[in-house]
Amino acid sequence: MEPADEALCERVARRDEAAFELLVSRYQERAYRLAWSILRNAEDARDVSQEAFIRLYETAGTFRGRSKFSTWFYRILVNLCLDHKRKHKWWKLWVRDDDEDRAETILDRQPAPVNDPVDKLSREATLKALGSAIDRLAPRQRAAVLLRVQEDMATYDIARVLKCSEATVRVHLHRALATLKKTVEKR
Amino acid sequence: MARHPDNDLIPYLRGELPPAERERVARHLEECPDCKQDAEVLRDLLGNLAHAMGQPPGVSWGRYRAELSEKLDARRRQIGWRRRPMPLALSASLAGVLLLVAVWGGREISKRGDPIGPDEVVIGQEFGLLQDLHTVERLDLLEDLEVLRNLDGLASEHQS
Ligand SMILES: [Zn+2]
Repeated sequence: MEPADEALCERVARRDEAAFELLVSRYQERAYRLAWSILRNAEDARDVSQEAFIRLYETAGTFRGRSKFSTWFYRILVNLCLDHKRKHKWWKLWVRDDDEDRAETILDRQPAPVNDPVDKLSREATLKALGSAIDRLAPRQRAAVLLRVQEDMATYDIARVLKCSEATVRVHLHRALATLKKTVEKR
Repeated sequence: MARHPDNDLIPYLRGELPPAERERVARHLEECPDCKQDAEVLRDLLGNLAHAMGQPPGVSWGRYRAELSEKLDARRRQIGWRRRPMPLALSASLAGVLLLVAVWGGREISKRGDPIGPDEVVIGQEFGLLQDLHTVERLDLLEDLEVLRNLDGLASEHQS
């Protein structure tokens, strides 16, 4: 039987390299995808997810098994992403360039031509609008939506990841979903 | 009104709930406009989130792991360097700086925002460690890796 994540983490705390390798291989794709969904930049997602694995290696001994390993690890990862966002934002204010993050998004999401037949392209256009609206959410709101929908996490676990109360998670989610609803309705 | 069924909304939309639970969520949605709205957007997101967000650029996982292992090695070397026995002279100057900061911190509380007094500047120059005022001001964050690394760098410069 495959060892559980929690058991592997205990072994990492004892500096078991094979256990670390196994945990990385289990989580690398999810970690990279989640970091990318929050940061919207491949290179940053790569760096930050790798940093999360390094922190996992360094702090595995502090994992007490009170939550699932995935919740504990996502807490490290998501907070690194949010910190990265915060620093990046500060830097962008400093150099007065706030278009960098959007460049990729705009290139990726060419608006549909105005006079296209509605039927086929409207779904495509709605998805693009939805994607851009998710990009524009505040980072914590976006993280809450991604953890709920993409990672299938319960409110209680999202609260642990975002280091806030369940009530706050509910507010983040409700606001984010209300914003997304407006976007979709406008189409 | 009953508790909002936060965690049940997605299983409900996916049809994963047992009949009794399903019935309970459906009744709640009829009487709670907030949850009804959340459920509508979640329904859209469930099928479309991946498509709406796009896919991250592909990664060569072999290279990813090689980079990770290099970064981890670099971090281990750093930690080994930080844990080496601290030379007596450096320990003494660090203790001196800490004392200075403690006294200074006390004064800061009583008259926050005061410019640095001339005697403090002289002491700072004596130590040669106070050139980066921000580093010293943040010595309360001694556990912070960046600060420690900074001090190590300053110390080796100081010794050479
Ligand atoms: Zn409700």
